[in-house]
Amino acid sequence: MNYFVGIDIGSTAIKITVIDENREIIGHRISGSGSMFYKYAQQTLSDLLNDLSISSEDICYTVATGYGRKLFKEADENISEITANAIGAVAAAKEFGTIKTIINIGGQDSKAISLDDQGNVVNFAMNDRCAAGTGKFLDACAMNLELTVEELGERHFNASGTPLSINSTCAVFAESEIIGLLGNSHSVEDIISGVHYSIAKRIVKLVKRVGVKEGIYFDGGPALNAGLVNAIENELGHKIFIPQNPQVTTSFGAAIMGIDSYNYQNKNL
Amino acid sequence: MHSVQEHKIETSKEKQNRHKAMEAIKVLNTLKEEFRTPPKAMNYFYNLFEEVYCNQKPLHNDKVKVGTMCIQIPSEIIYALDAVPIRLCNGFYTDDEIGSDLLPQKACPLVKASVGHLSSKNLTDKPDMIYSPTTCDQKTKAGSLISSFGYDVVDVDFPRTKESEISREFFRRSIHNFSVDLSHKMGKKLTKKNLRASISKIGYAQSLYHKLSEFRKNKIVPILGNDIFLVTNAFFFDKIDNWINATEKLVEELEQRVKEGLHVAGKVSPRIVYTGSPPIFPNYKIPLIIEDSDAIIVADETCSSNRMFNDRVAVDEWFVNDMIDSLADKYLKACTCPVFSKNDDRIRRIIELVRSHNADGVIYQAFAGCTVYELEQRSVLEAMEKAGISILYLESDYSPSQHGQLSTRVEAFMESLKIKNRKKA
Repeated sequence: MNYFVGIDIGSTAIKITVIDENREIIGHRISGSGSMFYKYAQQTLSDLLNDLSISSEDICYTVATGYGRKLFKEADENISEITANAIGAVAAAKEFGTIKTIINIGGQDSKAISLDDQGNVVNFAMNDRCAAGTGKFLDACAMNLELTVEELGERHFNASGTPLSINSTCAVFAESEIIGLLGNSHSVEDIISGVHYSIAKRIVKLVKRVGVKEGIYFDGGPALNAGLVNAIENELGHKIFIPQNPQVTTSFGAAIMGIDSYNYQNKNL
Repeated sequence: MHSVQEHKIETSKEKQNRHKAMEAIKVLNTLKEEFRTPPKAMNYFYNLFEEVYCNQKPLHNDKVKVGTMCIQIPSEIIYALDAVPIRLCNGFYTDDEIGSDLLPQKACPLVKASVGHLSSKNLTDKPDMIYSPTTCDQKTKAGSLISSFGYDVVDVDFPRTKESEISREFFRRSIHNFSVDLSHKMGKKLTKKNLRASISKIGYAQSLYHKLSEFRKNKIVPILGNDIFLVTNAFFFDKIDNWINATEKLVEELEQRVKEGLHVAGKVSPRIVYTGSPPIFPNYKIPLIIEDSDAIIVADETCSSNRMFNDRVAVDEWFVNDMIDSLADKYLKACTCPVFSKNDDRIRRIIELVRSHNADGVIYQAFAGCTVYELEQRSVLEAMEKAGISILYLESDYSPSQHGQLSTRVEAFMESLKIKNRKKA
């Protein structure tokens, strides 16, 4: 059997997906990036292959993507996470229909990608270098409120009335703003929904830069947060589609890219 | 008792020189070693930059040096009066950091670096006087700040519109005043002969640039965009005769390379037009990321390169006053700087370059803090979309960080251009 591997080395997590030649996902694994991207990526890959009882000889092609893509020397190829995300999203959303717009929130950046009818990237926009509106921002807020990131999603829906506004563009300043709101005896729920809406507003600005087109797909770790999804849908005024495993779309895309490259190279031999 | 290692504490000047040498050599080594075989004639330029920025070698000991703060001061007049123009626009992060103590944190890095450099007084070719055109707000204010360091700074009035007859007259008067002031300081007169000769010499330098530009229109591109930036950047400060000589040799070598079919990029490498805030040595951050992402810069629309050479002076009558008028017109009307209220010329120029150089896309860079380029981003992006030209907008600064995010954007842009090209074929 021929297998293909996509490795997405992000700032916060390493995501690996193994697929077969029919583009079916055989398995995936997620682990923290820590400080040693390369070592942890190797470890995660060998753990995943062990779990799936796949020998490394059956891996035909490996594509690395994500912030640390160039560190993974064993990869046959590396591509940017924007291209990989687009390929993965189109494949993962088959049952949903045609994807035209992708929203991705990662550990240290957020992006909006616009696709044409064939699923090619026509335009994209990314946040600037600060952590506002990213997964790290959510982590920081959860920590301030003594909650886990999972709890943020649940408690969002218990907010009463208009969400509070968090204006700070910086995760560090947002922390003092949250402390200020707590000091004014606002409820944790209202603050949580305020945090979600502030991220949603930023991401919607990015989406508007590339153009809002129906067929909106949202992935990356924060897509697991139902409260954030709710806030983005409300700000955008559109339904958005969340895949089953929103963290692994990009590594899935990289693996698919591997099949194409492998076939292309064999054809040209 | 623990032993304290003897070490010499550097003076701030030594430290500044060492840091700048490190910045310079890093870029020069990348150009020399990381890319495909640079032309042999480029060695002149690599050595020139190394001598000036790593070994602090002065070039113009025997001449009066006239510093200029922007592109709008006619070098023709300076050369005619037997002085040397030195453009003070600076690209060093070391100087940017020095300037950050004097200007707002959010100010443009180019202005901060230029101010920082002058404030340090650590200049190999120290200008005897400085002319500061009142172009953007930050440059305008920088002029007065620099004069407080003890330099002889003269403002050269520059209008913010260029369509009207008033602005034309205004700038003509301004350039007349400039030539009178400089002529007075030099104790020399502008004559029909010396001005005509220097217009013709700069014209010849421009014709060499146009030859370089022609090579880049072909399918086979014999030279990297980064090397061209180095060549045009040398024009800021080099001895003009040496520059002409070295560029002539480069043109000859490139002719040969085209004959041999030597293309410095890959077969499917996207061809890029670069526009926006000027890359000034050693801040080639974005151009290096572009050409490191399997792409090639085939043309640019910036004031450190194309804008210096593109347009020739059109003289009606070869009398001194008419020549000065013509020079003023050239430095105003042909300028596509975003300081102007309306700047449709710039959009036209970019589209022309995309078409003439068969480019696949445009990269628009603005320095964070370079407000005018940030402001003009929207209209340029809209115009490109209308013309069906792919464009990527990037914001960057002089800091050595941020490389990962920028290269991801550039690489993704190149991947999308390649996919587009593959579909077209």
